[in-house]
Amino acid sequence: MTNANAPVVTLEHAKKAFGANEVLKDISLTVNRGDVLAIIGPSGGGKSTLLRCLTLLETLDAGDLSYGDLAVTRTSDAGRAVYGGKDVLAQAKTRFGLVFQNFNLFPHYTVLKNIADAPICVQKRPKDEVEAQARELLAKMGLAGKEDMVPCELSGGQQQRVAIARALALNPDVLFFDEPTSALDPELTRDVLQVIRDLAAERMTMVIVTHEMSFARDVADHLIFMDDGRVVEAGRAADVINNPAHERTRAFLSRYEQG
Amino acid sequence: MEFSVMMGILGEGFLLTAQIFVVTLVGSLPLGVVVALARMSRFKPLAWLAQLYISVLRGTPLMLQLMAIMFGPYYLLGLNMGSDWKFSACAIGFILNYAAYFAEIYRSGIQSIPRGQYEAAAVLGYSRAQTFMKIVLPQVIKRILPAMGNEVITLVKDTSLAFVLGIAEMFSAAKALAAREVSMLPYAIAALIYWVFCLLIEFILNRVEKKLDYYHD
Repeated sequence: MTNANAPVVTLEHAKKAFGANEVLKDISLTVNRGDVLAIIGPSGGGKSTLLRCLTLLETLDAGDLSYGDLAVTRTSDAGRAVYGGKDVLAQAKTRFGLVFQNFNLFPHYTVLKNIADAPICVQKRPKDEVEAQARELLAKMGLAGKEDMVPCELSGGQQQRVAIARALALNPDVLFFDEPTSALDPELTRDVLQVIRDLAAERMTMVIVTHEMSFARDVADHLIFMDDGRVVEAGRAADVINNPAHERTRAFLSRYEQG
Repeated sequence: MEFSVMMGILGEGFLLTAQIFVVTLVGSLPLGVVVALARMSRFKPLAWLAQLYISVLRGTPLMLQLMAIMFGPYYLLGLNMGSDWKFSACAIGFILNYAAYFAEIYRSGIQSIPRGQYEAAAVLGYSRAQTFMKIVLPQVIKRILPAMGNEVITLVKDTSLAFVLGIAEMFSAAKALAAREVSMLPYAIAALIYWVFCLLIEFILNRVEKKLDYYHD
């Protein structure tokens, strides 16, 4: 039995610099099973880098990252983050999924193959089972009947929903979203946000970097405001957005309300 | 001379032309991959070596390269390579030269694939080999097809450079016939055969392009 409150992702004292530019300065966060965490903050504040470190697209300079009971990094005597071997990283990758801002679907694969290929070729699951699951996911995304189309035949919002289905097909413990609607116009944004709301209602564990404040307030349990590589403010999503405690958070949110 | 005899001689020349064409592609298409990967290697000395290779092979005449390979063994090492060496020298010269061009086309294709494709593959757990074979390569092929078509068409006509090694491919045959018969006709027929050969290649390339036209990005 999985503990309902077991941490799915734990990150402690994460640091990351590009040259002299410190992008993450001592970030810690924990995401429990069934939680939805929103990360907001100004551009260049380190949100994307944090997500890229969590999804192993970038390596941390220091800090401890683990997925459930799986420690991805350990800290060396010199205080540096040391990553586990290939098998550890491969196992970690089965525990999370990432939805990109620009979808990054594979343009030469059909919708169905985009979703089913990794479970078949990476997880070595049986083709029939995976394709049945992929069709189910597509139906859930409101895209039944699009199985044999290629991404360029779909709208941006539809592509992003395929990308969400692709990430879900690997049955991850947690799903990361990197500004999933920033490349979409408002109408298409609505459909994608609705899908994420539905997932939240099913208690899917999610971490969402977003600029959609009302969406973050409605969907997220917890919220982090990041600026200049630090967590400036963290708390219950509605509390932080409705009553920000820090001046910088207030300034950021008020700029948003003005549009 | 009867027309049929002339066609027979040109036809024999064409067989050699086609042989040079096929052998060059069979050798240089894969060798180009090796050179391209070396050129993109993070191990700098290897990348520089590949860059030098490409620079020299593209920066000197193919005719000169063929002569150098043909006579290099004798002048440099005093080796007598025998009468069949010219065919090997021809194949080596063409393969080395075309691999340099193909390598740069491959590189342009590989580097044009957006980073996001690699990142999506990485997050989904694809290995590096799977990412290259399943995600990157198919997209590269579509992107480089027009440039590859250019090179392959050029190769059809470049085979005539084997003339300088005394290989009786179609151009050499046409030249000999024209001199003996004091006629333009052999040249005209040879030109027609080159052109028809290229038309066939264009037709095949168009078919492949159409086949890959089911998506764009």
